[in-house]
Amino acid sequence: MTDATDTGAVAPQRYFISEADLRGLAADLLGAGTEVIAPVTVDACQSPSAMATAACLRPGVAPVDVDYKAIADAAELDLGRDLPGLSLKQLFLPDHEALCRWHQRGLEVTVEEVPITFAPRVVLAAKPCDSAALAVVDEVMNWDYEDELWNGRREATTILNLACPVIDDSCFCTAVGSAPDDVKGADGLLTPVEGGYLAEATTEKGRALIEAHAARFSAADDPATAALVRQAADERAGARRRVAANLEIDAGSVRDWIATHFEDPLLASLAIRCNGCGACSSACPTCHCFDIVDEEEGVGRGTRRRCWDTCQAPTFTLHASGHNPRDDQHVRYRQRINHKFSIYPLKFGEVLCTGCGRCTRVCHAGQDLVEILAAIDIAARRPGEAVAAGAAASEDAEAAS
Amino acid sequence: MNIYQPQLALVTDAIDETPDTRTLRLEFQDEAVRESFAFKAGQFGEYSVFGAGESTFCIASPPTREGYIECSFKAVGKVTTALREVNVGDTVGFRGPYGNSFPVDDWKGKDVVFVAGGIGLAPVRCVIWNVLDRRDEFGDVTIVYGARSVDDLVYKRELEEWRSRSDVKMVTTVDPGGETKDWTGEVGYVTPVVEATAPKAQNAVAVLCGPPIVVKLTLPVLEKLGFADEAIFTTLENRMKCGLGKCGRCNIGPVYVCKDGPVFTAAQMKALPAEF
Repeated sequence: MTDATDTGAVAPQRYFISEADLRGLAADLLGAGTEVIAPVTVDACQSPSAMATAACLRPGVAPVDVDYKAIADAAELDLGRDLPGLSLKQLFLPDHEALCRWHQRGLEVTVEEVPITFAPRVVLAAKPCDSAALAVVDEVMNWDYEDELWNGRREATTILNLACPVIDDSCFCTAVGSAPDDVKGADGLLTPVEGGYLAEATTEKGRALIEAHAARFSAADDPATAALVRQAADERAGARRRVAANLEIDAGSVRDWIATHFEDPLLASLAIRCNGCGACSSACPTCHCFDIVDEEEGVGRGTRRRCWDTCQAPTFTLHASGHNPRDDQHVRYRQRINHKFSIYPLKFGEVLCTGCGRCTRVCHAGQDLVEILAAIDIAARRPGEAVAAGAAASEDAEAAS
Repeated sequence: MNIYQPQLALVTDAIDETPDTRTLRLEFQDEAVRESFAFKAGQFGEYSVFGAGESTFCIASPPTREGYIECSFKAVGKVTTALREVNVGDTVGFRGPYGNSFPVDDWKGKDVVFVAGGIGLAPVRCVIWNVLDRRDEFGDVTIVYGARSVDDLVYKRELEEWRSRSDVKMVTTVDPGGETKDWTGEVGYVTPVVEATAPKAQNAVAVLCGPPIVVKLTLPVLEKLGFADEAIFTTLENRMKCGLGKCGRCNIGPVYVCKDGPVFTAAQMKALPAEF
């Protein structure tokens, strides 16, 4: 494990910060030359996010109007707690980025390195499902080979989450081990309370951020602030209850059932509406598959880039020989479900999904991951239920005798 | 330097094996890399032509020959077509070595049977030379190699060398119709030729590589000859990009071919979902 995945977790210390001071914190950071990234309101149909594009095409659905962006002014910070169109992924694994640059003159070739250290930056009011996704992807970026570009950006970034009120019925974070107040992958959490926010630092990085701007915060660990702490706890518990009502599954049973039912007709039937556009992969905070391509930039020079890719595209696994191991959409969709809910959990101990629901919201064909997981969960529980029912019946029989 | 940045390598030899298959010999430009570079039989790398991109092949030369590496490829895609145009004196990129390897050390004292079809001889050639360079550590060595036609046989000069050795049993075959007038080898598909050659399975291992159909049909023949699934080794071809277990492309069921493979036993292969 590298520093990037070492969470440096500390016992939470509580503070209070008013909305004015939160904007003041952003202004202080900007004033000191630190990049600040936060949800900002954007013209939805001009947004690069896949979600906004799909929403703009779909009548009757309010276009998403929030994206994570580097802000120039603290007034831009949108604290409305809407879900940004794209996740935090692009800040750590950009949709395309240079891996190296080459120059060729005659027979002589030189390769220029790209920087692997990054300037410090702060993300304010991140969604808990988005920060948790970073911690999940840390695993694949660090088994054996360490991805310096990912890790460099992780180390340079301090993230303060804003507890989520739960967006809609596509949310299911609690079903996959996250929560609307998750601090996984983040350095602290803000929870709305009367007059401002309860702020908690959960890592050394988070504590350092708060301590460096101590004038903006007041301690909230004394009896006088107990009501605020209670209010924050109620807010979070309410959100957890609301999201749990959307979907409850046994993620362990789902994982094991998929691993042992590769050829099951249920898995083959899941992609019935999917046409493989891959919007789900772009919108997903945990999808990290990429391509590496060379881009020529004139004669004798160019850039080798990695770009987001999707396992939903037929070309993803196409061999040069013409053979394609996944030559049909239903097997490509099965791979998506298998990788997220079985392969990755078995290999890395983490579900490759944080329940943000973006894949469902962006899907113009109506693929609904909440429905799909519920269906797999029912299939996975069935044998267990039969055993439990059988045991109950035999107990009844014993009692009767 | 990040993990995706290639080393530069000078092409010091280039051989046309067939009308569409070429072998390149590469020597690292950086002296420190040239000195320290080491790999094991079966490992692969990402070879690049700047401007065309990267392509994945096993290292086709054996680890027992130091100072250079070789790769053999068929010009079928964008990168391999560009590599086909590369000549002595040109510079290419290389990342690697990646992946696991054939457990050659575990085979000491055993007979080794090599079965390859077409360009599938490239990764097997690395193991063949690795075994022949340490010849007295192993028992009988049998090589069965087949291609569509005489023209399609790769490493022709080495096939002759292996055939002329008294400590190697070399069987070469071409598909029916692929023979020439002066062809003295077998005529027939690889699978029946392996069956007819009937190498003994006792205290032996088999290394198998070729097009999916050759692997699929030859596995049951090797089993019939008595080879246990744990004694049959193959190297899986799957599309790859990073070679480092990150890009997700080569994932089949629980394995990332680039990290958990590319070398698998038949037993391991059978445990994977039927998806390659």
